[in-house]
Amino acid sequence: MPMRILIAVLRTIRNSPRLAIGLAILLVMVLVAVFSPLIVKGIGGSTDPLELAAYERWLVPGPDHLLGTDQFGRDVLAMVVSALSVSLQIGAIAGVISTVVGVIVAFVAGYKGGWIDGILSTFTGILLVIPTFPLLIALSAYAKNVSLFQVGVMISIFSWPFAAKTIRAQVLSLRSRPYVDLARVSKARDLEIITTELLPNLLPFIGVGFASSALGAIFGLVGLEVIGLGPGGVIDLGQIIFNAINTGALTLGAWPMFVVPIVLLTLLFAALNMVNIGLEEVYNPRLRGVAGE
Amino acid sequence: MKSELELRNVQQRFHARGVAAGYITAVDDVSFTLAAQPPQVVSLVGQSGSGKSTIARNVLGLQKPTSGSVLYGGKDIFKLSRAEYDAYRRDVQPVFQDPYAIFNPFYRVDRVLWKAVNKFGLTKSRSKGLALIEESLRAVRLEPENVLGRYPHQLSGGQRQRIMLARVHMLRPSFIIADEPVSMLDAQVRKHFLDILLDFQREHGMTTLFITHDLSTVYYLGGEVMVITKGEIVERGPVSTVMHEPSHPYTKLLLDSIPQPDPDRRWTNRITVDELEDQERADAKAAPAPEAPIL
Repeated sequence: MPMRILIAVLRTIRNSPRLAIGLAILLVMVLVAVFSPLIVKGIGGSTDPLELAAYERWLVPGPDHLLGTDQFGRDVLAMVVSALSVSLQIGAIAGVISTVVGVIVAFVAGYKGGWIDGILSTFTGILLVIPTFPLLIALSAYAKNVSLFQVGVMISIFSWPFAAKTIRAQVLSLRSRPYVDLARVSKARDLEIITTELLPNLLPFIGVGFASSALGAIFGLVGLEVIGLGPGGVIDLGQIIFNAINTGALTLGAWPMFVVPIVLLTLLFAALNMVNIGLEEVYNPRLRGVAGE
Repeated sequence: MKSELELRNVQQRFHARGVAAGYITAVDDVSFTLAAQPPQVVSLVGQSGSGKSTIARNVLGLQKPTSGSVLYGGKDIFKLSRAEYDAYRRDVQPVFQDPYAIFNPFYRVDRVLWKAVNKFGLTKSRSKGLALIEESLRAVRLEPENVLGRYPHQLSGGQRQRIMLARVHMLRPSFIIADEPVSMLDAQVRKHFLDILLDFQREHGMTTLFITHDLSTVYYLGGEVMVITKGEIVERGPVSTVMHEPSHPYTKLLLDSIPQPDPDRRWTNRITVDELEDQERADAKAAPAPEAPIL
């Protein structure tokens, strides 16, 4: 069974170059993020490159410091590496929370139908039209010293409805399939039908839901950081951009502080979107380049 | 003891927009009894939208009727105890119309058969289970090595529909609810399928409720027939009687609609259900019912 899934995944990837490239970029980024403590250590050697005044301030990029140093004398490369890890973490936290909540709400609403669906769909709809970002600004300005996890939760509160809405529509169409009826006359219970008959067929949609929530969260946090309202104690890509703008880093020749985080974010955005589009191409026959297979 | 399956004054309404009453009546005051002994084939004939599939869903417990009751062994199927429910599920099994949609595309076809083995506790041992599956596949004239381990899209419609029959063969229910099982099969496979159903009746004593719009298959199967239109059963009796001396105008219309393999007897005038409805408008009361529930 695991072998089969692996083979199926590999075949899917081979058939879609977009998906393959997107996944490859993501994989590299995740690896960098996972090994970021080691990489940071490797850059700094005996000194911690993220310590204030670890080096001289505003060093231009050179062999010792590939991306230079910032206004406090920290190594920008090390900062970028650990910031990438923070950005991916917030994406993962918010992605997981909103996917799980979205999937549960979608399945309950879509499968149960009736008044339960009515209430859940109305609630989902209400959350959908709330302008998220201004509210997020208000929330983080109000809550002093929010942690990364709290920001993740705040962002997920507003991003699960998107996942819920698309998945619910799919559940509605799948639940009246004859194979669901067959499972019911084979004494399968609701939960069993949902997990074994419906869920596997919805994996691509759940994947898309996860990717877009994660992306939303990463950029939500960047947005907060750029206006200086991010969580304390952590540096993410947005905060580096904020520092660069604030200190006029570009005029001091410290262009990597501004350019590198933006390039990384653009790459991340492109990669997640390529995965999204690739998954849709694979699972939506109408978008396939060539008919048949 | 073999049980009876009885529909008592079953009525099924579905909410619908744009209809004056706010709902449409798919099944209207339908009562009939299927006896397990002696095993027989009872056909339920009607055009699309006459409510016949809804009746199948009621009988299978997939749709709770708006009023009236479906009784198994004298008890309402929606109020059974755990043990009675298990007996009912085992004893009343379906064959559905669409051999493509009946399989979850995510799994191999074996799963449907293994589910039957495991869910109904046919056997605990894997080797005995496999033996049962192979025996049942052979009973529906499928070679196990040709179908096991395959995905649904790798099999033909006839093969898939016969796997459903193999499932029924394993479970040996007293009642098969066959909802348009041959409408998507070609002529040769259709005969094959009907013969297997008749075999089941003879050899394993299964009673079939055969739901169809096609009178020629009803002819072929024989037994009893009920004619349904607009949710109401308008005529019932032995196939030979109903076919040769139809008493209801709708049955006559159905009989006239069988294509004759004879160019001299080609239809010359068009008969439509609408015309018939015009004649009947005086006493018509129910709105045309949809085949599938509108949710």
